[in-house]
Amino acid sequence: MSRFREPTAFQAPNADWQLLPFRFERIDERILLTNLVGEHLFLSGDEFQLLADGALPADSPLVRKLRAKHVIREGSDDLPVELLALKARTRYRRLAEFTSLHIFVASLRCEHSCPYCQVSRQSSDREAYDMSAETAALALDSVFRSPSSNIKIEFQGGEPLLNFELIEEVVERAEARNESEQRNLGFVIATNLALLDKRVIDFCRAHGVYISTSLDGPADLHNKNRPRPGRNSWELATEGIQRVREELGVDRVSALMTTTRSSLDRVREIVDCYVEQGLTSLFLRPLSPYGFAIKTKSFDAYDVDRWLPFYEEGLDYIIELNSQGTPMVEQYAAIALKKMLTNDDPGYVDLTSPAGIGIGAIVYNYDGDVYASDEGRMLAEMGDTTFRLGNLHRDSYEEIMLSDALLGPLEESFTGSAPMCTDCAFEPYCGADPTYHHATAGDYLGRKPNSGFCRRNMAIFKLLLDRYESDPSTRALFTTWATH
Amino acid sequence: MIERSVHFDASGHSLDAVQRAAYRLSDRLSCEISKRDDTIEATLFLAEDAEDPEALIAEFRNEVLDQALRERIRTETSDIRNLVLALAFSKTGLTDTDV
Repeated sequence: MSRFREPTAFQAPNADWQLLPFRFERIDERILLTNLVGEHLFLSGDEFQLLADGALPADSPLVRKLRAKHVIREGSDDLPVELLALKARTRYRRLAEFTSLHIFVASLRCEHSCPYCQVSRQSSDREAYDMSAETAALALDSVFRSPSSNIKIEFQGGEPLLNFELIEEVVERAEARNESEQRNLGFVIATNLALLDKRVIDFCRAHGVYISTSLDGPADLHNKNRPRPGRNSWELATEGIQRVREELGVDRVSALMTTTRSSLDRVREIVDCYVEQGLTSLFLRPLSPYGFAIKTKSFDAYDVDRWLPFYEEGLDYIIELNSQGTPMVEQYAAIALKKMLTNDDPGYVDLTSPAGIGIGAIVYNYDGDVYASDEGRMLAEMGDTTFRLGNLHRDSYEEIMLSDALLGPLEESFTGSAPMCTDCAFEPYCGADPTYHHATAGDYLGRKPNSGFCRRNMAIFKLLLDRYESDPSTRALFTTWATH
Repeated sequence: MIERSVHFDASGHSLDAVQRAAYRLSDRLSCEISKRDDTIEATLFLAEDAEDPEALIAEFRNEVLDQALRERIRTETSDIRNLVLALAFSKTGLTDTDV
């Protein structure tokens, strides 16, 4: 008797195959297929026709390819069902975690007067625009009502360092409370760094606080975008970045940029600026269609079709830098690639469905108002309070989290039941973003064929897939970004 | 406004597939859909300055075919889709049957 069974014994007992749920999109001459959990493959037109007609020969190499990607299964094969279930469960695991990012607006005051900023106030009136200790204590109660095992508290503004005493108090009280709660607790201060001093540095060192700052590119561009008395925003920001790197560690500071019309022709200089500062990641962000950005016409200064070439040039330049040995990650691509190439979901609020508003991130405003997202509070500053869920001084946690202002947009924007999204091959990578669509289309869903959000993200997904498929070294780089 | 009628055999195309195709292209055309006996009629309205009206109408026809295929995939795989999702969300504490 043979020690091993004949190879035929390992073949599927039945050569017949069945379709598994998948979606497709025609891209140029090829067809992109994504399975139930977003794993993808490309087919030629002829191959797709064979699949569509049910005429795929059982011994075709394509059958193995399609089985590997859970697009088809052999008749009696249960494994694909179990694997898809496991992967789907991994993908949606954040839902059970609930709110993990809690944003405290420590002060609305700011010494900058950036034309694209939606919320800041030029004021010395602390009573009017700073969060009080009483409000912060209520916000902290709300933070620990979230069942999430990972809690991140982010201080925003205005300029939150203008109310640094409150930051100190919240961090210390949260840490004390966490001795019994035992959550994975972290802190971030989103600051322009102009007010960074020894007290802030020492406190951040003692409590493991991370710094997130804004760097829009070279000095002239940054200072034009971000005016302040002395016209030295860039100098203060870059000095601050270096100081944090030296005194707290290179990984303790990250930077974000915002694209204005003046940035559109300068993406390489912007990337170079980040490299010169020793930063290893940047986030090529378009301007948000909210608040002052619309009022000051900054947003109208360019549209998606102007922004996409900027993004493409920036991404290609970053790929080129990496190939030459200079490490740099484009953060939006990294978020999308994690969704495209792994079964994990980074939980980025704009790219989740159900939307991340409230259940992924929540905002406690300086005055106790609670917003479903940072963009929601920006809209409120312009008089649109659609995304105000309640007020910490008046409403209970249950009233806030079960409010129609939260449940309505969550339900109505869900891409699993949204027209066009349900059929879209990119849906597993994309998000609902009811705030964007409310601001631009007047309802939580928007009409996707006219949606700038849809157009931008579809173009980015196609771009990433194109670069991933066309060059082995870029494929390796993207895999690193996705699994980082 | 350019107006063109396109007809589909109702035995091979559903109203839903034609509606979904019209929605997908609704940034470039508008559409009235009616069904009479065995025929679905889609009346397409294109802007007078539409770049290539014939190509857009051909794109609409192809999109209806793709939507018909998507419908078939949805129907054929709906049981297994439900099975996978039921399995994925079992014992998570998120569904009534867990408690």
